Amino acid sequence: MEPERIAELLAKYNEGQADPSEIKLIEQLIEAGRIDLDQLHELSRLEAQVMKLENPVPSVELDDTFYQMLKTMKANTKDGFSWRNFFSWPELAPRLVLASITLMIGFLGGYLLFPSPTSSKEVAELKDEVLEMKEMMMLSMLERESATERLKAVSLTNEMTRVSDKVTNALLQTLNRDENINVRLEALEALKPFVHDSRIRSELVRSIAKQESPLVQVALAELMVRLQEKSSVKEFQKILKSERTPREVKQRIEESIKIMA
Amino acid sequence: MKTPEQDLETLSDNALMLKVKDGNLDTLGLLFERYKKPLFGFFYNLNKDAELSEDLVQNVFFRILKYRYLFRGEGDFKTWMFHIARNVNHDHHRKNKLGKAEPVESWENKLSDNDAYSVQLQQDEETNMLTLALDRLPFEKREIILLSKYQEKKYKEIGEILGCTEGAVKVKVFRALQDLKVVYRQLEKQM
Repeated sequence: MEPERIAELLAKYNEGQADPSEIKLIEQLIEAGRIDLDQLHELSRLEAQVMKLENPVPSVELDDTFYQMLKTMKANTKDGFSWRNFFSWPELAPRLVLASITLMIGFLGGYLLFPSPTSSKEVAELKDEVLEMKEMMMLSMLERESATERLKAVSLTNEMTRVSDKVTNALLQTLNRDENINVRLEALEALKPFVHDSRIRSELVRSIAKQESPLVQVALAELMVRLQEKSSVKEFQKILKSERTPREVKQRIEESIKIMA
Repeated sequence: MKTPEQDLETLSDNALMLKVKDGNLDTLGLLFERYKKPLFGFFYNLNKDAELSEDLVQNVFFRILKYRYLFRGEGDFKTWMFHIARNVNHDHHRKNKLGKAEPVESWENKLSDNDAYSVQLQQDEETNMLTLALDRLPFEKREIILLSKYQEKKYKEIGEILGCTEGAVKVKVFRALQDLKVVYRQLEKQM
């Protein structure tokens, strides 16, 4: 139907002149969504009045009976057990999910404990992937502004069975450049398991001269004594010459040099 | 600082009902506080019996608790609740064989018998006359107008309650309002 014809029909209805056949037509147009109830002025006014009608208020007894019923239902829920409820789908579904997960964990456990020869390769690949993910996480955490986050990143290496050069380089960089002393000390601690690597040992020796914190200097001196790293003596002597080095630290370093000599 | 109760109060109807479904039955109290008045109004306007209406409100919440596992949280809680309310009302009248849908003739006849209302009409203004006109409508028409009122004219949701299309709901509302208009005018003439 043409919009003009609908407008005419509406005007006629709003003037109270619509005949039954036209009202039937209006119904069809309402159902089709072409006429909105709000366009029928008198009905829309009447509807607005209905909307404004005040709600009767229930008595306080309704509250009493409701809360009593709630209390009873709660008590029944706690005490009651029925097989029917147990096997009803909404109750049963989470139980089935839990049972399936437990079963899968069991299978996985068995699979890991007694791996078949073909599967050991897959497990190794999986382990590599996990290690790689840990490394990535550690490297990205080292970039964080928060020192706590960087500390966490460094300690992540404790969980790694082996590490890539990327990780040891990152740890060395942290030892040399991190603005927080605790993070530097933690990085030194994390590097200790890898001191058998000559590259790391020489980087540690080079790091001595870069340290200004007495705590890091002493920690490095102790490590060098333990490693009997004589090449470090030269670096320590540079620290001894520095005026900024506190007297107590100089004393500790001198002792270390004596032991190594 | 907000208490956990205040936090709960800000939750949507659906979120609260999902908590009830998860076994936190006390949360139903908040939904009861939100909807006891609209539900009571719905039943009272349908049945004109305060005591019965309170029983029916109680029944709605009992069913909500009993069938809480059926609530999926996908649709609107209010629509689900009014769906239950409608069933509760129907079941009550079916059991008691009361309040059957009145044929049109019966309410038309009632109009002439206006003595009982004469005093009331003298005191009443427009609003009371409207209430009176509503009471004279056949059950289905009264029901659709009340659903439209309490569902805030959300015709799509009303369609879900009645099991028909949005367009069909609009036509039902149109017809009911048409009848309401006729009754209202007749009452006006009698004033």
